[in-house]
Amino acid sequence: MVKPTPLFDYHIGWKSKGKRPGRHKSNQRGMGIEFAGHATLLSYPDPRRIDIRQTIKDPLGQIYVKIFNQRSTTPVIIICDLSSSMDFGGKNKKIFLATDIAQSIAHSVIDQRDALGLIGFDDEIREDCLAPISFRSQLVFTLIEELKSFILPNKSNRAIKELYRYMPRERSLIFFISDFHMPEVDLENCLANLMRHHVVPIVLWDKKEYKNLPNFGVVTITDPETGEKNTLFLRKELKEKIVASFERRREVITKTFMNFDVPPFFVDEHFDANKMTEYFNQFVGA
Amino acid sequence: MIFSFPLVLWLIPLAFFPLFLTEGSTHFYSWNALVPKDNLSKIITIFLKCVATLILLAIIIGLSGPHSIQRKIEKTGIGAQIGLVLDRSASMDDSFASNDQTKTSNNQTKIGEMKSAAAARLISDFVRSRKNDMIGIVTFSNSAMYVLPLTDNKNAIISAVRATAGNALFQTNIGSGLTSGTELFKKVPDSGSRAIILLSDGGGRIDAATQEKIKDWFDRFKISLYWIVLRQPGGISIFNSFKLQDGEALPPQIELNEFFKTLNSPFKAYEAEDPKTLQKAIEDINQKEKKSIKYFEKIPGQDFSTHCFVTATILMLALLILKLIMVRSWL
Repeated sequence: MVKPTPLFDYHIGWKSKGKRPGRHKSNQRGMGIEFAGHATLLSYPDPRRIDIRQTIKDPLGQIYVKIFNQRSTTPVIIICDLSSSMDFGGKNKKIFLATDIAQSIAHSVIDQRDALGLIGFDDEIREDCLAPISFRSQLVFTLIEELKSFILPNKSNRAIKELYRYMPRERSLIFFISDFHMPEVDLENCLANLMRHHVVPIVLWDKKEYKNLPNFGVVTITDPETGEKNTLFLRKELKEKIVASFERRREVITKTFMNFDVPPFFVDEHFDANKMTEYFNQFVGA
Repeated sequence: MIFSFPLVLWLIPLAFFPLFLTEGSTHFYSWNALVPKDNLSKIITIFLKCVATLILLAIIIGLSGPHSIQRKIEKTGIGAQIGLVLDRSASMDDSFASNDQTKTSNNQTKIGEMKSAAAARLISDFVRSRKNDMIGIVTFSNSAMYVLPLTDNKNAIISAVRATAGNALFQTNIGSGLTSGTELFKKVPDSGSRAIILLSDGGGRIDAATQEKIKDWFDRFKISLYWIVLRQPGGISIFNSFKLQDGEALPPQIELNEFFKTLNSPFKAYEAEDPKTLQKAIEDINQKEKKSIKYFEKIPGQDFSTHCFVTATILMLALLILKLIMVRSWL
């Protein structure tokens, strides 16, 4: 039995410029319920919206109509980190979780009838994993299905600097799925370039990276991006150090994100769509 | 330190490969930079590589068969180079001639000790009392039997002496015994004190050619001769004057004694009738032959390949233990 993809509800904190009717606040005149002002019937010839009260109040006797803003669509982009570190996790790789999350996002976006795009990147923007913003989202779904096959060994995430070039001109909602295992400078630069958009960083960390490490033993770990090898003698002391190091890292990237006013959304092992809804309710002003 | 198969040593550079190889690992992590530096882990990394190198080194060196060279050490000691020439003729199995047959409390005659057994016992004591002697043994009956070259190995000497105490053989061929006894000294450097102790019961005739040979060799090798005669009961004593009757040849003991007296090298004869007198004679020789001697002791080379392999095994066990605590997978 196929599990239904969990959906979440999202909204944006700005007025969309999208012309297509959708679910988000917009500054487009149209058939909405958000009152925007009055205009004379001559300038906005829509007799259905004649405001009798305003018309009577006018000493000059002009006929006024109410103007409303319609609700519009907004572009949504999923950025997926395809660096080799996303391949971590043995049976439950991070990229599988990323796929699940991307699925959930895509379905939620379709549910709200917004435009959807997908960009994958590692050391370069992956043109083969690039779906331009579109209301026809089939390509995105196809790419999401095959997301794991895009991961190549020994790839880092240097193309993070190039990301902004592929973003639409108008303000968009960006879901950035990554483990954010990258130098802070890169991250800051990237966020600075994406300032005009609304970024939702989804931080994928696996408990197996730190808390669920074995308690005792010798292990040689390979860095998938640089190929660097380290032999570790795992024991209580070292494990505590590693966990502390990850907690410090969590603080550091949270601080970095908060400097750009984008609270990170941490995902451990399991993606909870309800939490995503809560995230929007909590951090994004309606 | 030399090697039996030095060519194998060319493989030594191979042993250092582990130092340059990176660790084999199938465990991919996400970002190694997030793992804090850990000194113990570093030590273990280096330790593992060094152990691997040491194992290979030990095996290669072990295969090349290292051993130390045989050495000769010059030792100085007090003693002599003594050739024991022991009579193994059948008459040695008789018991001693006991003039004073001791009466025990229950009036029984104590049967005398076998001559060969008594000789073996007393000579063993003699050997034990000497510290740095080199002793060689030759026995004779019909002909000489080479038993032991000159050696300072006490155990070997005593074992050889004990072996001579067994059942005796036929005749007495003193000439052959003496020449073989002399040959003991041929290949050994002169220490300054050389003696042959001839232990026999009674005499034997030596032909003229052998007599010449013995005389010549004793002179050349500077060997002094001690002759212990185990006298047969009622036998002729070599010290008593013996009246020669007409047409009768001298008894062999007397003739032999006369011949020995003509030797250029020192000669002393003892006559033993019972273990006590034999002991006295041996003690007398013990007193006389005490000079400092120089001799070489051979110390055989030691084979170190086993050490190498044992080391390699122990190190491999250490690696195995580490292997046991290796994390196979935690993902």
